[in-house]
Amino acid sequence: MGSIRVEHLARIEGHGGITVELDGNEIRKVQFDIFEGARLLEGLVRGRSYKDVAQILSRICAICSSSHALTSLKATEAAFGVEVSPQTTLLRDLLSLGESIESHALHLFCLALPDYLGYAGVVALAAEKPETAALGLRLKKLGNLIQETIGGRAVHPVNALPGGFGRAPTLDQLITLRQALRQGVADGAATLHLMASLPPAEFCRSQTVFAALASGSDYSYYQGDQVVVLADGRRETIAAANYRSLTNERTAPYSHAKHSSYNGRPFMVGALARLAARREVLNGQAGEALDRLGLRLPSDNPMDNNKAQAVELAGDVERALALVERLLREGLDQERCVPVVPRAGTGTAVTEAPRGLLFHSYIYDDEGRVLWADVVTPTALNAASIEEHFQAAVRQTAGAEPAALAKKLEMIARAYDPCVSCSVHLIRSSDAA
Amino acid sequence: MTKPRVGIFGLTGCAGDQLVILNCEDELLDLAGALDIRDFLMASSDNDTGCALDVALVEGAVLSRRDEERLRKIRDRCELLVALGTCAVWGGVAAMDRDTDRAALLTDIYGVQGALDDTQPARALHEVVRVDLNISGCPVEKEQVLGAVANLLNSDLPAFPDYPVCAECRVRENNCLLIEAGAVCCGPLTVAGCQARCPALRVPCVGCRGPASDANIASALAMFGERGLPREQIVRKLRTFAPANGH
Repeated sequence: MGSIRVEHLARIEGHGGITVELDGNEIRKVQFDIFEGARLLEGLVRGRSYKDVAQILSRICAICSSSHALTSLKATEAAFGVEVSPQTTLLRDLLSLGESIESHALHLFCLALPDYLGYAGVVALAAEKPETAALGLRLKKLGNLIQETIGGRAVHPVNALPGGFGRAPTLDQLITLRQALRQGVADGAATLHLMASLPPAEFCRSQTVFAALASGSDYSYYQGDQVVVLADGRRETIAAANYRSLTNERTAPYSHAKHSSYNGRPFMVGALARLAARREVLNGQAGEALDRLGLRLPSDNPMDNNKAQAVELAGDVERALALVERLLREGLDQERCVPVVPRAGTGTAVTEAPRGLLFHSYIYDDEGRVLWADVVTPTALNAASIEEHFQAAVRQTAGAEPAALAKKLEMIARAYDPCVSCSVHLIRSSDAA
Repeated sequence: MTKPRVGIFGLTGCAGDQLVILNCEDELLDLAGALDIRDFLMASSDNDTGCALDVALVEGAVLSRRDEERLRKIRDRCELLVALGTCAVWGGVAAMDRDTDRAALLTDIYGVQGALDDTQPARALHEVVRVDLNISGCPVEKEQVLGAVANLLNSDLPAFPDYPVCAECRVRENNCLLIEAGAVCCGPLTVAGCQARCPALRVPCVGCRGPASDANIASALAMFGERGLPREQIVRKLRTFAPANGH
């Protein structure tokens, strides 16, 4: 078995590759390569008004742009001690559900599924299995409809502001959403059925540490400020403000990247981590789906992240429908943003982006200008775990042809749903502020 | 008629403009039927990376030697190069301040040992190669992309507005945020095509589509000044998506 090099990984967001160097059965180097140019947005945002920060930093990533905007607003509001209205919180929850539906549908149907079914992409898939492609595109469109209705745009939301929203949706818009979501419930069920029918992906087992945002009974991706870490059957909690204890980075001898670790161990974030950390609040068809998909939590197979996304996707549609019904029942107030008065201080926020934990932390001066900004993205957090799972797969498929092994490593990378544009922090060596 | 051979590429950016193409859920399969999409790495693992192309759609800005080399290769293999999105057309958010000491910024953000060797100040595509058509927007508007494809299929070059967002905002009968609400709204300086998406939500325009050629800059600057915004902040705000020395 020689060395493996995947120059430019297809069907992921951004520019990444894979390098594996072997010396006999000895693994010399395993690397998830990042070729993304450095935009230095955290540096460029310094000196800017708090009013501009979410708009600029949402541009870190398109697929997770709602998450970046919401996490940014949450951090800014924390710095200034701003409490938004309950309606704003509900609408932000709905916006993050829309993003999750779009992102999971895009990843499952357009990026990951072609591997399982033997197609190059969703267009090739559509040529032979038009109903499967149509199912994915319908769900994707549903997620975008939510983001357009609440966020004002499917990519880089414009309507989410410090203190609230520019304009709340109209009743007519909510009724349209409810109709679309009701139809979407069946599509969620069909997705679970499809995932249960896929061939097993058994080539990488490794005991994994997981980290996810602790959630209340509503499985929110937006609310909360406590991070749960699951390791060896133990459950520990870290406050968002102490996020640096999770993002401490170490140098890995086989990789050029600096890696996030918890107590010296890589950890995985994303749908599989969330299911493991929040299992007790799963309900509806999502809860029933775990058995059907053979998903045992916590899972030691990273490929299960695809199944976990399907479970969330089905649940997200139900949760979004429940939220819209609640908003229709309670009525919508065409309220203005609550007043935002800047003050000097630090604000840190965490949310669950579709790919996992996302942190934004800012220091503001007394006029509300950014002195310092830090963004830690899920793909940056996952990088070490991706490489650990590459190593496990290389060990567990000893003797495989390089091309076959390369395909498996690609599938592992893809299962993490990496968002390389997001990985602004991968090659950072020091966290000293 | 033979289908035009098309490549869709991303340089450094957020992939939002490629995502807008994938977000054409209702049109995607028709689009794939009308075009011969040969190279689209974000959506397919079966790409012809060397073939001649009739049209290349390129999003993102040039931020590294690698970006620059990829762009030159794309230019060499295509007839028509389309800059897709504000980063490609103007440089975008990464180009908002090209004067700051980049080495210092890199060390500050990535740490001393983490400094990357392949990094450059952001450039728009036209600063590196010839560009045949610009479709701006952060991200691009779906309708403009689909319209441009329809035009190209009929051997026409699409025409986009050169007037400011204000024109579309008035058509929608929105209250003027600049005059009536006293907000710093970049509508008068920003090229239309978004149907005044933000002002329609009572949100001031941030200028994400880049400058309008037909704009009264002096008058807008004077109005912003009257809103009490210091000149330095005005300039920074206007450069957020397009550096001053762009076009």
